[in-house]
Amino acid sequence: MASKTPVIPLTETYRDISREVARIPLHMPARVPWLIALILSLALLSLFLASITYLFARGVGIWGLNIPVNWAFAIHLYVWWLGLGHAGTLISAMLLLMGQDWRNSLNRFAEAMTVCAVICAGMEPIIHLGRPWFLYWMFPYPATMGVWPQFRSPLEWDVWAVMTYLIVSILFWYIGLVPDLATVRDRAKKRGWQVFFGIFALGWRGSARHWAVWNKTYRTIAAIAVPLVVSVHSEVSLLFAAGQIPGWHSTIFPPYFVLGAAFSGFAMVAMIAIVMRHTFQLGHIVTERHLDVLAKVTLAMGLMTAYGYVFEVFDAYYSGEMREIATIHDRFFGYYAWSFWGAVFFNFVPLQGLWLARVRRSPVLLFLISTSVVVGMWLERYMILVTSLYKDFLPSSFGYYHASFWDWSTYIGMLGLFMTPFLLFVRFLPSISIFEDKEVLAREKAEAAHG
Amino acid sequence: MAEPLLGFLGEFGTPEALLDAAKRARSDGFKCIDAFSPFPVEGMAEVLRLNGDQRIGWITIAGGLFGFLGMLGVQLFVNVDYPIEVGGRPLFAWPAFFVVDFEIMILCAVLFAVGGMLIINRLPKLYHPLFGTPRFGLASADRFFLYIDASDPKFDPARTRSFLGSLGAWTVEPVRP
Repeated sequence: MASKTPVIPLTETYRDISREVARIPLHMPARVPWLIALILSLALLSLFLASITYLFARGVGIWGLNIPVNWAFAIHLYVWWLGLGHAGTLISAMLLLMGQDWRNSLNRFAEAMTVCAVICAGMEPIIHLGRPWFLYWMFPYPATMGVWPQFRSPLEWDVWAVMTYLIVSILFWYIGLVPDLATVRDRAKKRGWQVFFGIFALGWRGSARHWAVWNKTYRTIAAIAVPLVVSVHSEVSLLFAAGQIPGWHSTIFPPYFVLGAAFSGFAMVAMIAIVMRHTFQLGHIVTERHLDVLAKVTLAMGLMTAYGYVFEVFDAYYSGEMREIATIHDRFFGYYAWSFWGAVFFNFVPLQGLWLARVRRSPVLLFLISTSVVVGMWLERYMILVTSLYKDFLPSSFGYYHASFWDWSTYIGMLGLFMTPFLLFVRFLPSISIFEDKEVLAREKAEAAHG
Repeated sequence: MAEPLLGFLGEFGTPEALLDAAKRARSDGFKCIDAFSPFPVEGMAEVLRLNGDQRIGWITIAGGLFGFLGMLGVQLFVNVDYPIEVGGRPLFAWPAFFVVDFEIMILCAVLFAVGGMLIINRLPKLYHPLFGTPRFGLASADRFFLYIDASDPKFDPARTRSFLGSLGAWTVEPVRP
């Protein structure tokens, strides 16, 4: 699979790759920016803790939701966070199986992003429960009242999907991390670091026997993780599609949700890649070629998501259902039209810039376009929930939704719940896969030697 | 030097040199050999005859079946033990059960695969005699090591040492417990 520009420049050596990545945990190069980011995210995290404390004390009534719009921020953000997470698994697993070498510079932090995003996603329905301390009711345990969970309900499926996704993401990430922890352990000079990395590296020695078994395991999990991603977000879409609410009850939902998720996720990975590359001077490892391919994948996912939009409109008109068509009209011209047109604009208009190679390779422009995509997908999830719920079949139950202060404070605070563990990951663990990049380099060197 | 010798560790500079050395050691009749590298070296598994090991695949399938059947059992039992009638719909809603079943099948398959990998590789094992060898730390950076174990029938302290040297090893170190 010879390509024009190598993924890792041939001037690099194996030692360079170890040094460039391992110095981040061992000798933090960007202490001040990191500290500022951590303080900011801890401040957000405190806002989150304050918000949910008040929430638990007073109940979900502090949010703006009420009949008929009783699913709003918490569920819309649940879908949004989970979607952001999916790109990490897709980059790691799908591109690994397809032998795309460029993914080796991105998979580690993309997976860490997945784990952080899934934590946030899992938190949303829990705080939305109203009585979160009864979460365990969702699990089949021999209750004294003799009741069991209702396994025929999409709400019950949710718990299992998110739990599985979180555990599998963490395991996949950790299994890939072990050989790199060994590298950092061997490079560490201070005793504390040696013990810290030594314990988590599990005594990895890089034996050919270990590699052979490890390789099979890693690829097996990757092959399992791809259908998992598709199943998890399809399952999320069934929360909506299995109901009869106009605007939700459509067979396009599962693929539409999965593609939208991957779309926002790839944009998020591009944003993180650009920030990390800039902050830690990782230009040799995360090259312009990486940004270029990320941009291309984002563009492709965006166009597929756009197909979902078109099909949704077609579906409504083709159905001939009065309420379905009315919901589409509400989306176009109704009270929340801003969320529909905002989603269309932020998702698809700046995205068209990515047709140009110059834009794809420009970190600043790619960052701005990716931000726009993340905002656009945020609006889309909002639009799907609120515009469908605020007017359904019964005119007597039409009603509006306005996000309250606590809706916003919980959401903004949750960014801290996302950023804090991610920043700790960047600080303490090798955030780029060292050994997989060496593997790419070895392959490139072999190719160059054979001419 | 009274301590027993566990084997010899030869150091190489490139994955190709290691692969070549491993091939020659095999063709020379050595059986108890292992290679250590910072990343999986392509072709090494074939040379060391490690590809026949399909245990991980079977373990994963076992995990998947366990999860699938187990969760299906739970869902069927729950609906018998506390039947919830909804408009006369069947209690055993197979398509609905399949969703959770699929997730738990994946969860158990992955848990089994990871557990199996750790057990087959005998990890975690925080100490190993190899870590006592001064240059071994480079096996995770940019050096490639070929290890010949003393239990090998062809092993002879002096000759094996010079054999590793003749393969082009930069350094040859004895490994002691």
